[in-house]
Amino acid sequence: MLIVIFHLPYSNGVRTVTLIPGDGIGPEISAAVQKIFAVAKVPIEWEVVSVTPVKGPDGKFGIPQAAIDSVNKNTIGLKGPLMTPVGKGHRSLNLALRKEFNLYANVRPCRSIEGYKTLYDDVDVVTIRENTEGEYSGIEHEIVDGVVQSIKLITEGASRRVAEFAFDYARNNGRQKVTAVHKANIMRMSDGLFLRCCREAAEKNPDIRFEERYLDTVCLNMVQDPGMYDVLVMPNLYGDILSDLCAGLVGGLGLTPSGNIGTQGAIFESVHGTAPDIAGQDKANPTALLLSAVMMLRYMNLPEHAAKIERACYSTIKEGKYLTADLGGKGKCSEYTDEICQKIEAE
Amino acid sequence: SKSPLAQYGGRFTVTMLPGDGIGPEMMNYVKEVFRYAGVPVDFEEIHFDPNSESEVDFFDAITSIKRNGVAIKGNIETRENRPGQISRNVELRNELDLFAYIMNCKSFPGIQTRHKDIDIVLIRQNTEGEYAMLEHENVPGVVESLKIVTRANSERLARYAFDLAQKQGRKKVTTVHKANIMKVSDGLFLETCTAVAKEYPNIEHNNMIIDNCCMQMVAKPQQFDVMIMTNLYGNIVSNLACGLIGGPGLLSGRNMGPQYAVFEPGTRNTGKSIAGKNIANPIAMLNASVDLLDHLGLDYHAQLVGSAINKTVNEDCVWTPDLRGQATSIDVVQNVIRNIQEQTKTKNWGGPRMGR
Ligand SMILES: Nc1ncnc2c1ncn2[C@@H]1O[C@H](COP(=O)(O)OP(=O)(O)OP(=O)(O)O)[C@@H](O)[C@H]1O
Ligand SMILES: Nc1ncnc2c1ncn2[C@@H]1O[C@H](COP(=O)(O)OP(=O)(O)OP(=O)(O)O)[C@@H](O)[C@H]1O
Ligand SMILES: [Mg+2]
Ligand SMILES: [Mg+2]
Repeated sequence: MLIVIFHLPYSNGVRTVTLIPGDGIGPEISAAVQKIFAVAKVPIEWEVVSVTPVKGPDGKFGIPQAAIDSVNKNTIGLKGPLMTPVGKGHRSLNLALRKEFNLYANVRPCRSIEGYKTLYDDVDVVTIRENTEGEYSGIEHEIVDGVVQSIKLITEGASRRVAEFAFDYARNNGRQKVTAVHKANIMRMSDGLFLRCCREAAEKNPDIRFEERYLDTVCLNMVQDPGMYDVLVMPNLYGDILSDLCAGLVGGLGLTPSGNIGTQGAIFESVHGTAPDIAGQDKANPTALLLSAVMMLRYMNLPEHAAKIERACYSTIKEGKYLTADLGGKGKCSEYTDEICQKIEAE
Repeated sequence: SKSPLAQYGGRFTVTMLPGDGIGPEMMNYVKEVFRYAGVPVDFEEIHFDPNSESEVDFFDAITSIKRNGVAIKGNIETRENRPGQISRNVELRNELDLFAYIMNCKSFPGIQTRHKDIDIVLIRQNTEGEYAMLEHENVPGVVESLKIVTRANSERLARYAFDLAQKQGRKKVTTVHKANIMKVSDGLFLETCTAVAKEYPNIEHNNMIIDNCCMQMVAKPQQFDVMIMTNLYGNIVSNLACGLIGGPGLLSGRNMGPQYAVFEPGTRNTGKSIAGKNIANPIAMLNASVDLLDHLGLDYHAQLVGSAINKTVNEDCVWTPDLRGQATSIDVVQNVIRNIQEQTKTKNWGGPRMGR
């Protein structure tokens, strides 16, 4: 039976959260978040762990056991960007974390930020991506020379789980509508199965509006009138593509938060890379990680703290005095962070 | 070796598949416009009976295209109540080996859009990849869908793209893929395109991962010149491009193979919800008809109809609701015809009537 852990019960006590600072600019932006959380008096204690791969007893490189234990114990984590060396012995750490904690839904809200002007000023959508199967099954082989087949795997269990999550998310976040994004006119059985699971979930959630749209139609509409959509749920690859597209509408990955919800826990993360070119220079923009941490607070049922930090962050961006270079400003990461802290203290 | 185009008494015969949704009305506009432009083309129309289970219509269509060499088509709806039947649009492309889909995505100077000066040639693999339609349910609730990538098809697509880039004086080709995840299949596609690129040293080649590509498309689409991609990514990026340029009602697309060519509106949708209301934008299908004239070598007529369309969109600003205009489909078509009449009056039917 599926249990969607969603808003955790409120508790007065201090909760421990696993923090994975990550590589490159990761430590700087993680420090910024920690500082802001301290000033906002968020009842959270950080348990900092490294996920740099270590050689296990089987001789293979993998995530250190201590990190796995920490997330399993705390069930909640915040994570900075990780570097995946190309062509080295271990596969993507992001993928490994996803597998380890069965993070089946990737949630990415994309919202236009007041004060940071892009060509689109009316974006407010949330993409929910199935995170465990589909085109990322990794089952591929060359049948004969020059002919490759790659298998996309869609199961009823995973599809139903993410569909139901989408409706729960919509309800818990005051959203009106869920759109299932698919290509069932072409992939009739696989996307057909996904779509059927969404329809079934829709029937169980009559308070949330439901519609289904072809992936191509969503791409077409999204750049013309993003206001047409609210919460979108879809298989893995479509989610990967659409979530980046939506991030592009609001100004890129430096601003968009993300959460990975699983059966064994939830990990919130910034989706941008490690930006080795600016690492250690106090130039990084911590917004994406900070807004991911705000998402985490809502998930942990700490909405007041979440709102306070979010307000301070948005108004700092709106004032535009301490914007980092990626947003066209001259501010340093530390200056931007201090400004947010001051706004929180002033409240 | 291209099969000869059917031409009887100096006139071409072209297969016309109106399809579903807005397709049939759009085809009537094409015929109307061709009549006023004096285009020496006769259509062999083939309608599919939507309620028939029979495949006869479909095979008639294939036979007709094989005979005529060329077709113009609307989108054929894939009916959900027949799960066993694969998309006829896909089947037709496979049957005729139309391995390349080409869309010219160029901003219309008269239409207000967020992004200006987009000028992309999009080249999409059109017969395999995610559209292989090989699916099975292993055990109840577990479905596998196969994506097929072959070196042969990737290679001729890449060659088609680079030849086209060279002919049109384009500077850069971008291969779009997801080879970081689909290492073997998209890997083969990327590797093949990269190898072909080496034969064209004067054209720059780079590659981009599909999710980043979509982000770049909405942020800075002017960076792209020629783009080449597998089937599904082509579906995504082509619709994105249409959205950026002004919607589904403007651009056309060409299905090209070694022997046959089929022309249709770029986004390949049926527009079921707006059918029969006199509001669908006819420009996309009319542009498909210009592509057809180009292909037949009817340069004079292509120029005549093409400029009548462009004037309607960019100068006369006769726009249907999808472009935030108030005109009906018929208003647009009549305006195009008026422009044709004006041009033919002033030019007095000058120039070569027929190419080739
Ligand atoms: N949080 C951030 N703040 C400021 N600039 C950023 C941030 N994230 C990314 N960038 C900029 O965006 C560019 C792309 O960086 P990103 O790290 O995403 O990709 P990358 O350099 O390939 O690293 P990786 O291999 O880890 O993905 C970099 O030049 C960097 O300067
Ligand atoms: N020629 C056109 N002029 C104006 N709008 C169009 C045109 N073609 C498509 N559209 C619009 O573009 C959108 C996508 O079209 P599409 O036909 O794909 O709709 P759909 O909902 O996917 O269903 P279906 O394909 O079954 O008709 C719809 O809103 C449709 O009305
Ligand atoms: Mg991505
Ligand atoms: Mg990405």
